[in-house]
Amino acid sequence: MSSSQVERIYCPVCLAKFKFSEGWSEGSVVVCPICGERLTISKSADGWVGDRIDKGTEKEIRDRIDGFAEIRGYVFNDVKEDIVEGLMGKYKRFGDFYCPCRMEHVPEYQCPCKPTRGGDVEKNGKCHCGLFWKKA
Amino acid sequence: MAEKHKIIVYALSTCPYCKRTKRFLDAHKVVYEHVDVDLLDDSKQDEVLDKVEKLTGRKSFPVVIVGTEIIVGHDEQKLKKALNI
Ligand code: SF4
Ligand SMILES: [Zn+2]
Repeated sequence: MSSSQVERIYCPVCLAKFKFSEGWSEGSVVVCPICGERLTISKSADGWVGDRIDKGTEKEIRDRIDGFAEIRGYVFNDVKEDIVEGLMGKYKRFGDFYCPCRMEHVPEYQCPCKPTRGGDVEKNGKCHCGLFWKKA
Repeated sequence: MAEKHKIIVYALSTCPYCKRTKRFLDAHKVVYEHVDVDLLDDSKQDEVLDKVEKLTGRKSFPVVIVGTEIIVGHDEQKLKKALNI
């Protein structure tokens, strides 16, 4: 490991690699700066990877969307509870937290989905489902 | 109440606006048929998705069909108008 080379951590939710921060080590609990997921990090043969905390539970998805909203400065309204229920339904029936307003059950539509991570809220004032809103 | 037409709601079981549309229709005692597209088996699902796409030009839900009127998304004003309520 050379100090000039920035190490990265693989996030199993958004499938991106985010930068390793100072002070982190094996077993640290960190928040993915791209999707908001809470991860326990460890070093594998292929480099650093994050492990989803409370995987598949309502706590996981609530922590993730709250984390994402905090990172981006977005707010929620009363649709949030219906959407969390919809996300739980997706997990039960389709195996992960896919967008409750879409039919596509693929990684790029794992909530917060790729369009949202790519700036849909800035563009339209809200995400496709109306979970995340730009601050008024 | 004008309910001469058969009313069909195409929805996703997980989508909050689909739920709102159903709730709205229930609250107004509208009789309708509803299809949760995500819960259909694969071949039936493809068939219905095709149909929805032909009718609306996209795969967005809910879709409410009242006679010849097609309402995409949860829109209480349009529902009221289409249903005379
Ligand atoms: S549209 Fe909103 S609720 Fe749906 S997956 Fe994207 S971020 Fe999540
Ligand atoms: Zn992530």
